Amino acid sequence: MKIEVKDYQGMKVMALSGEIDMYSSPALREEMMGLINKRVTPLFVDFKGVSYIDSSGIATFVEGLKGMMSYGGRLKLIGLLEGVKEIFGFSKLDRVFEIYGTFEDALIS
Amino acid sequence: MKDSVVIKVQSDPKYLSLVRSVTAKMGELYGLPESTIEDVKLAVDEACSNVIKHAYGGDTNKNILVKYRVTKKGFEVLIEDNGIKVQPESIEGRNLNDIRPGGLGVHLIKRAFDIFQFDQRKRKGNRLRLVRFAK
Repeated sequence: MKIEVKDYQGMKVMALSGEIDMYSSPALREEMMGLINKRVTPLFVDFKGVSYIDSSGIATFVEGLKGMMSYGGRLKLIGLLEGVKEIFGFSKLDRVFEIYGTFEDALIS
Repeated sequence: MKDSVVIKVQSDPKYLSLVRSVTAKMGELYGLPESTIEDVKLAVDEACSNVIKHAYGGDTNKNILVKYRVTKKGFEVLIEDNGIKVQPESIEGRNLNDIRPGGLGVHLIKRAFDIFQFDQRKRKGNRLRLVRFAK
Protein backbone atom coordinates (compact mmCIF):
# COMPACT_ATOMS: atom_id res chain seq x y z
CA MET A 1 0.00 0.00 0.00
CA LYS A 2 1.13 3.54 -0.71
CA ILE A 3 0.27 6.51 1.49
CA GLU A 4 0.65 10.05 0.21
CA VAL A 5 -0.26 13.06 2.34
CA LYS A 6 -1.07 16.19 0.35
CA ASP A 7 -2.11 19.71 1.27
CA TYR A 8 -5.15 21.27 -0.32
CA GLN A 9 -5.74 24.88 0.65
CA GLY A 10 -4.41 24.26 4.13
CA MET A 11 -6.33 20.98 4.56
CA LYS A 12 -4.82 17.50 4.69
CA VAL A 13 -5.63 14.82 2.16
CA MET A 14 -4.32 11.31 2.71
CA ALA A 15 -4.33 9.45 -0.61
CA LEU A 16 -4.12 5.66 -0.31
CA SER A 17 -3.51 3.03 -2.94
CA GLY A 18 -3.16 -0.73 -2.92
CA GLU A 19 -4.38 -3.20 -0.33
CA ILE A 20 -4.97 -2.50 3.37
CA ASP A 21 -4.37 -5.59 5.47
CA MET A 22 -2.67 -6.72 8.65
CA TYR A 23 0.70 -6.10 6.99
CA SER A 24 0.05 -2.57 5.75
CA SER A 25 -2.33 -1.21 8.40
CA PRO A 26 0.37 -0.44 11.02
CA ALA A 27 1.97 2.07 8.61
CA LEU A 28 -1.45 3.55 7.87
CA ARG A 29 -2.19 3.81 11.59
CA GLU A 30 1.11 5.55 12.26
CA GLU A 31 0.54 8.09 9.48
CA MET A 32 -3.06 8.77 10.41
CA MET A 33 -2.53 8.98 14.16
CA GLY A 34 0.39 11.34 13.52
CA LEU A 35 -2.06 13.74 11.83
CA ILE A 36 -4.73 13.19 14.46
CA ASN A 37 -2.28 13.89 17.28
CA LYS A 38 -1.77 17.27 15.62
CA ARG A 39 -5.57 17.69 15.80
CA VAL A 40 -5.91 18.00 12.04
CA THR A 41 -9.45 18.66 10.83
CA PRO A 42 -10.94 17.96 8.44
CA LEU A 43 -8.91 14.97 7.32
CA PHE A 44 -9.78 13.69 3.87
CA VAL A 45 -8.89 10.10 3.03
CA ASP A 46 -8.87 9.34 -0.68
CA PHE A 47 -9.76 5.67 -1.17
CA LYS A 48 -9.92 5.66 -4.95
CA GLY A 49 -6.78 3.53 -5.26
CA VAL A 50 -7.71 1.06 -2.51
CA SER A 51 -8.74 -2.30 -3.92
CA TYR A 52 -8.97 -4.27 -0.67
CA ILE A 53 -9.49 -3.73 3.05
CA ASP A 54 -9.64 -6.26 5.87
CA SER A 55 -10.77 -5.95 9.49
CA SER A 56 -7.41 -4.57 10.64
CA GLY A 57 -7.80 -1.70 8.16
CA ILE A 58 -11.37 -1.08 9.29
CA ALA A 59 -10.20 -1.09 12.93
CA THR A 60 -7.55 1.50 12.07
CA PHE A 61 -10.19 3.88 10.72
CA VAL A 62 -12.48 3.30 13.70
CA GLU A 63 -9.60 4.19 15.98
CA GLY A 64 -8.85 7.26 13.88
CA LEU A 65 -12.47 8.37 13.92
CA LYS A 66 -12.68 7.98 17.68
CA GLY A 67 -9.47 9.97 18.07
CA MET A 68 -10.84 12.77 15.90
CA MET A 69 -14.19 12.83 17.66
CA SER A 70 -12.37 13.60 20.91
CA TYR A 71 -11.56 17.09 19.58
CA GLY A 72 -14.52 17.57 17.28
CA GLY A 73 -12.53 16.72 14.15
CA ARG A 74 -14.08 15.41 10.94
CA LEU A 75 -12.80 12.40 9.05
CA LYS A 76 -14.07 12.28 5.48
CA LEU A 77 -13.68 9.15 3.36
CA ILE A 78 -13.78 9.66 -0.40
CA GLY A 79 -14.13 7.51 -3.50
CA LEU A 80 -14.54 4.04 -1.98
CA LEU A 81 -14.69 1.29 -4.60
CA GLU A 82 -17.73 -0.97 -4.40
CA GLY A 83 -15.97 -3.87 -2.65
CA VAL A 84 -14.46 -1.63 0.02
CA LYS A 85 -17.72 0.25 0.50
CA GLU A 86 -19.52 -3.04 0.95
CA ILE A 87 -17.25 -3.95 3.89
CA PHE A 88 -18.03 -0.63 5.61
CA GLY A 89 -21.73 -1.34 5.00
CA PHE A 90 -21.55 -4.91 6.32
CA SER A 91 -19.80 -3.60 9.45
CA LYS A 92 -22.56 -1.00 9.85
CA LEU A 93 -19.82 1.60 9.80
CA ASP A 94 -21.32 3.46 6.87
CA ARG A 95 -23.64 4.94 9.52
CA VAL A 96 -20.84 6.49 11.53
CA PHE A 97 -18.30 7.49 8.87
CA GLU A 98 -18.75 10.41 6.54
CA ILE A 99 -18.46 8.77 3.11
CA TYR A 100 -18.46 10.77 -0.12
CA GLY A 101 -18.26 9.89 -3.78
CA THR A 102 -15.93 12.72 -4.75
CA PHE A 103 -13.52 15.14 -3.17
CA GLU A 104 -15.77 18.03 -4.26
CA ASP A 105 -18.74 16.50 -2.41
CA ALA A 106 -16.65 16.08 0.71
CA LEU A 107 -15.33 19.62 0.44
CA ILE A 108 -18.72 21.34 0.33
CA SER A 109 -20.40 19.27 3.05
CA MET B 1 -9.16 -38.63 -5.27
CA LYS B 2 -10.42 -35.26 -4.19
CA ASP B 3 -9.10 -32.17 -5.92
CA SER B 4 -6.85 -30.45 -3.44
CA VAL B 5 -4.06 -27.89 -3.13
CA VAL B 6 -1.91 -27.20 -0.07
CA ILE B 7 0.24 -24.18 0.63
CA LYS B 8 2.53 -23.58 3.58
CA VAL B 9 3.36 -19.96 4.46
CA GLN B 10 5.39 -18.33 7.16
CA SER B 11 3.25 -16.63 9.82
CA ASP B 12 4.35 -13.21 8.63
CA PRO B 13 1.64 -10.70 7.62
CA LYS B 14 3.62 -9.86 4.49
CA TYR B 15 2.57 -13.24 3.07
CA LEU B 16 -1.15 -12.63 3.53
CA SER B 17 -1.34 -11.14 0.05
CA LEU B 18 0.03 -14.44 -1.26
CA VAL B 19 -2.68 -16.38 0.58
CA ARG B 20 -5.29 -14.04 -0.87
CA SER B 21 -3.98 -14.55 -4.39
CA VAL B 22 -4.01 -18.34 -4.08
CA THR B 23 -7.47 -18.32 -2.50
CA ALA B 24 -8.86 -16.17 -5.29
CA LYS B 25 -7.29 -18.40 -7.91
CA MET B 26 -8.66 -21.53 -6.28
CA GLY B 27 -12.12 -19.99 -6.15
CA GLU B 28 -11.82 -19.13 -9.82
CA LEU B 29 -10.67 -22.65 -10.73
CA TYR B 30 -13.60 -24.13 -8.82
CA GLY B 31 -16.05 -21.84 -10.57
CA LEU B 32 -17.16 -19.70 -7.66
CA PRO B 33 -18.92 -16.48 -8.66
CA GLU B 34 -16.82 -13.30 -8.55
CA SER B 35 -18.59 -11.82 -5.50
CA THR B 36 -18.20 -15.11 -3.62
CA ILE B 37 -14.49 -15.23 -4.44
CA GLU B 38 -14.06 -11.78 -2.86
CA ASP B 39 -15.88 -12.87 0.32
CA VAL B 40 -13.94 -16.15 0.54
CA LYS B 41 -10.61 -14.39 -0.07
CA LEU B 42 -11.30 -11.93 2.75
CA ALA B 43 -12.46 -14.70 5.07
CA VAL B 44 -9.32 -16.82 4.57
CA ASP B 45 -7.17 -13.69 5.06
CA GLU B 46 -9.00 -12.99 8.33
CA ALA B 47 -8.57 -16.57 9.53
CA CYS B 48 -4.82 -16.49 8.80
CA SER B 49 -4.51 -13.09 10.49
CA ASN B 50 -6.16 -14.60 13.56
CA VAL B 51 -3.62 -17.43 13.55
CA ILE B 52 -0.76 -14.91 13.51
CA LYS B 53 -2.32 -12.73 16.22
CA HIS B 54 -3.83 -15.29 18.56
CA ALA B 55 -2.39 -18.77 17.98
CA TYR B 56 1.17 -17.53 17.40
CA GLY B 57 0.93 -14.33 19.50
CA GLY B 58 2.53 -12.31 16.71
CA ASP B 59 5.47 -14.66 16.14
CA THR B 60 6.28 -14.29 12.45
CA ASN B 61 8.54 -17.33 12.21
CA LYS B 62 5.97 -20.10 12.47
CA ASN B 63 4.07 -21.90 9.74
CA ILE B 64 0.50 -21.82 8.55
CA LEU B 65 -0.87 -24.57 6.35
CA VAL B 66 -3.78 -23.75 4.08
CA LYS B 67 -5.49 -26.64 2.29
CA TYR B 68 -8.09 -26.13 -0.38
CA ARG B 69 -10.32 -28.85 -1.72
CA VAL B 70 -13.61 -29.48 -3.35
CA THR B 71 -15.85 -32.07 -1.76
CA LYS B 72 -19.44 -33.10 -2.31
CA LYS B 73 -20.41 -30.45 0.20
CA GLY B 74 -18.66 -27.63 -1.59
CA PHE B 75 -15.51 -25.51 -1.36
CA GLU B 76 -13.49 -26.40 1.73
CA VAL B 77 -10.51 -24.61 3.28
CA LEU B 78 -8.54 -26.04 6.18
CA ILE B 79 -6.22 -23.70 8.08
CA GLU B 80 -3.73 -25.34 10.39
CA ASP B 81 -1.21 -24.03 12.89
CA ASN B 82 0.87 -25.34 15.75
CA GLY B 83 0.22 -22.46 18.09
CA ILE B 84 -1.82 -21.90 21.22
CA LYS B 85 -5.04 -23.88 21.28
CA VAL B 86 -8.04 -21.73 20.54
CA GLN B 87 -11.10 -22.14 22.74
CA PRO B 88 -13.92 -22.10 20.18
CA GLU B 89 -16.41 -20.85 22.75
CA SER B 90 -14.24 -17.78 23.31
CA ILE B 91 -14.54 -16.72 19.68
CA GLU B 92 -17.30 -14.26 19.26
CA GLY B 93 -17.34 -11.19 17.09
CA ARG B 94 -18.47 -7.90 18.51
CA ASN B 95 -22.06 -6.83 18.22
CA LEU B 96 -21.96 -4.98 14.92
CA ASN B 97 -23.91 -2.12 16.49
CA ASP B 98 -21.09 -1.65 18.98
CA ILE B 99 -18.73 0.65 17.11
CA ARG B 100 -15.21 -0.07 18.25
CA PRO B 101 -11.98 -1.39 16.72
CA GLY B 102 -11.72 -5.19 16.47
CA GLY B 103 -14.16 -8.09 16.60
CA LEU B 104 -15.13 -7.90 12.94
CA GLY B 105 -13.00 -10.72 11.50
CA VAL B 106 -15.16 -13.60 12.75
CA HIS B 107 -18.25 -12.01 11.18
CA LEU B 108 -16.41 -11.72 7.86
CA ILE B 109 -15.41 -15.40 8.02
CA LYS B 110 -18.89 -16.61 8.95
CA ARG B 111 -20.61 -14.65 6.21
CA ALA B 112 -18.44 -16.35 3.56
CA PHE B 113 -18.57 -19.92 4.89
CA ASP B 114 -21.48 -22.09 5.98
CA ILE B 115 -19.31 -24.22 8.28
CA PHE B 116 -16.83 -22.63 10.73
CA GLN B 117 -15.49 -25.40 12.90
CA PHE B 118 -12.35 -26.17 14.88
CA ASP B 119 -11.30 -29.80 14.59
CA GLN B 120 -10.92 -30.93 18.19
CA ARG B 121 -9.05 -34.06 17.10
CA LYS B 122 -5.93 -32.00 16.39
CA ARG B 123 -3.84 -32.45 19.50
CA LYS B 124 -1.36 -29.62 19.07
CA GLY B 125 -2.35 -26.31 17.57
CA ASN B 126 -5.52 -25.69 15.61
CA ARG B 127 -7.26 -26.88 12.49
CA LEU B 128 -10.03 -24.58 11.36
CA ARG B 129 -12.41 -26.09 8.84
CA LEU B 130 -14.31 -23.73 6.60
CA VAL B 131 -16.85 -24.98 4.07
CA ARG B 132 -18.92 -23.04 1.62
CA PHE B 133 -21.75 -25.25 0.44
CA ALA B 134 -22.16 -25.84 -3.26
CA LYS B 135 -25.20 -23.83 -4.23
